[in-house]
Amino acid sequence: MALEGLRILDFTRLGFGAQATLICGCLGAEVIRVESTRFPDAIRVMPPFVPEPGERGEAFGAATLANATGAPSANRGGIFYKYNTGGKRSITVDARHPKGLALLKDLVAESDVVAESFAAGTLARWGLPVEVMRELRPDLVYVSMCGFGHEGPDTSHVTMGPTAQALTGLTFMVGLPDRPPAGWSFSYLDHVGGYLGAIAILAGVIHRRRTGEGQHIDVSQLEPATALSGALLLDAMLNGRPSRRPGFPSGNRRAHPPAAPSGAYRCTGDDRWVVVSCRTDEQWSALVGAMGAPAWAADPRFATLVGRVEHADDLDAHVESWTRGRDRYEVMDLLQSVGVPAGAVQDAADRLERDPQLAARGHYTDLGNDEVDALPLEGVPFRMTATPPHTGGALRRGPPCLGEDTEAVLGEVLGMSTDQVAALRVEGVLS
Amino acid sequence: MTAPLDGVRVLELTDESAEYCGRLLAGLGADVVKVEPAEGAPSRHIGPFLDDEPGPDRSLAFWADNVGKRSVVALDDTDVVALCAAADVVVHTLRPAQAAARGLDVDALHERAPGLVVCAVTPFGQDGPWADYLADDLVLMALGGSMAACGYGPGAGGVYDTPPLASHGDQAWRTASTYAAIAVLGALAWRAESGQGQLIDVSAHECSASMTEWHLMTYLCSGGVHRRGPHPTLTAADGRQVAALNPDFLGPHVFAGMLRMLEDEGVAGELSDPAFADPVHRAGNYREVWRALKRLAARHDGETLYRLGQGAGLPWGVIRSPEEVLDDRHLRARGHFVELEHPELGRSVTYCGAPFVAHGSPWVMERRPPLLGEHTDEVRAQWSAGTPAAGTPAAGAPGRAGAAGDGDAGRAR
Repeated sequence: MALEGLRILDFTRLGFGAQATLICGCLGAEVIRVESTRFPDAIRVMPPFVPEPGERGEAFGAATLANATGAPSANRGGIFYKYNTGGKRSITVDARHPKGLALLKDLVAESDVVAESFAAGTLARWGLPVEVMRELRPDLVYVSMCGFGHEGPDTSHVTMGPTAQALTGLTFMVGLPDRPPAGWSFSYLDHVGGYLGAIAILAGVIHRRRTGEGQHIDVSQLEPATALSGALLLDAMLNGRPSRRPGFPSGNRRAHPPAAPSGAYRCTGDDRWVVVSCRTDEQWSALVGAMGAPAWAADPRFATLVGRVEHADDLDAHVESWTRGRDRYEVMDLLQSVGVPAGAVQDAADRLERDPQLAARGHYTDLGNDEVDALPLEGVPFRMTATPPHTGGALRRGPPCLGEDTEAVLGEVLGMSTDQVAALRVEGVLS
Repeated sequence: MTAPLDGVRVLELTDESAEYCGRLLAGLGADVVKVEPAEGAPSRHIGPFLDDEPGPDRSLAFWADNVGKRSVVALDDTDVVALCAAADVVVHTLRPAQAAARGLDVDALHERAPGLVVCAVTPFGQDGPWADYLADDLVLMALGGSMAACGYGPGAGGVYDTPPLASHGDQAWRTASTYAAIAVLGALAWRAESGQGQLIDVSAHECSASMTEWHLMTYLCSGGVHRRGPHPTLTAADGRQVAALNPDFLGPHVFAGMLRMLEDEGVAGELSDPAFADPVHRAGNYREVWRALKRLAARHDGETLYRLGQGAGLPWGVIRSPEEVLDDRHLRARGHFVELEHPELGRSVTYCGAPFVAHGSPWVMERRPPLLGEHTDEVRAQWSAGTPAAGTPAAGAPGRAGAAGDGDAGRAR
């Protein structure tokens, strides 16, 4: 695998940081999560909870009960399983115990990368400021990932994905004209920040091999987002056309490049939609043919792309009158068969159960652990011919139970004996 | 100070869907050369244009994703193949049949340059039942699941009367481009050890499908799916919206901080009742909490309200348009925005810069977007002078401590 032999000491929590180390794990890096039994990662203990073994497929009832009454264990929090594939291992160490801190220092000395996503200054308060880590490991690649980063006037600010999305323009870019922005209902920037965190780790490692030098790379959740607005910023600055203007954001319509019809159209079923997008006359003609050449389509207003864009409201109403009585996947397949870009609006259930492409590509990998039956989990969405990534990482295993690798890691990495580990456990160091 | 990909040659043969990948690699120091047909890459003809006047060197869409690159106009496919053979990495957006027709399939390229990393970014990947389907960003956002979860909540009677929405900014393409950059970095790390190139197959659909946070897990755990609807927002006195998250689940300190803020502002009202210290009571009387927050919002403009919330430890953020981000003092202090001269226009342009702060290997942001064919002669002379060095950009295994090899040592220049 591409990153075989690379050891990452992983102090990340929640989604943003864990997304970065997940990617490295899928590429073959050894990822050792440092966790705590007393302060478990919030996504280990918050709903939705993974059902008990044997439950899934029969009834979701018991899981629903657990979801209502509280965390059944630190290994059942569902979101943990989204962000901790890649064969990550888990150890528990009490950083506040002097012997725990000493263990962490020994581990830093044996690691190529330290990744963390605490609020700025947290590791330093534990006794692991960057200077100390650098003494322990002079060529360490240290990648910090938190909302506002470790430098700058607002480092005390706290973010969740939607916070950073609001501040960077992403929330603004989703909405219908002349209404407040609808925004994203999930933390897209936890993913994007994590992707850039992975790039930071890889860049740091490559740079170290060329120069022998480690460094601290500081990833915030803001900078990875600014370029995601594409040309909107330049249009505002250079053409005096701010995004905050009447009529913008324009729902699903795009001015550049122009397309019409273009949007989501209602289909049969409860709140089911299909997206159709025509940029060219050829695509429009093919769409008209697929719809059975209805009389309205011959309206001269729709003869050119310019006309179709200008009369998009009428056009959309006509197109929807055709899609309305049809199944979204049937519309998609029919239009694709004649060369019109189209796609069903899919939710998570659709992606898992009705998407033949994801199934054929092996998008999901069934992985579990001692406490959880195998679940179809996601890793990295690309293939490599010489070094295939794997959702189970180099170890081909599911997300770890809390602390399940403590003894193995302390033995393999620090050469500690079973007795030594047991003694530390008695002293409460490994909690 | 060297950049991580200093000296690495990346040949880019893409439409607008994967140009962001090259932009990221250029920021890491790679020599990213865009190979274009005589009329220019498709994105040069996508607006908006500078002063709304179309022209291959005036597309702002092109500028946004091609800053930092060089441009070569290729004579024909033989010419393109020769350039590929002189590169370390080729990023393209060709489907398998298109690549083969142009002599750019991976086997043909590897015959000439076994160490070449070839990265193909396509809507659905190289194979599968939908491999030949067509997609733009909107189609990918629909199939991937983002749209189903983005938009306004249901209207009267619980019926959704507005459609699912996709973000502007081509987010599915950008996610695919970012994953492509990650895969290229992984492949370069591997090549440093093995000398081997390989094919990277990025499916934008798979990328889009894996970016909806906990939605898959919710379905697996409860059988439910996420419906669309905005996060809670407060409207400030100036009409600006503020995302007002209240992560009560993180512990009692969250409400304690909020209450202190509301009391300092004299708008706490009922919330000062000790009963509200109980999270169950708060959850059952959330309307009171929200009322107090609205009283607070009515007193301040959006930017102030955002900072007040943050001062109380709440993850609040004012909803800004992209251009309003330019004024953010934190991003400015971190040196995020970069001015680049466009000498032919007699002006400089501000670009978004480094996606992270790396003092040991700063983000490279020196070249404005290339004019069409601007570097044709220059690149031909430089790239024909030496073949790429298998093993760039590294010496030693990823895990080898301090294996300080000079990755350029093997390159004949």
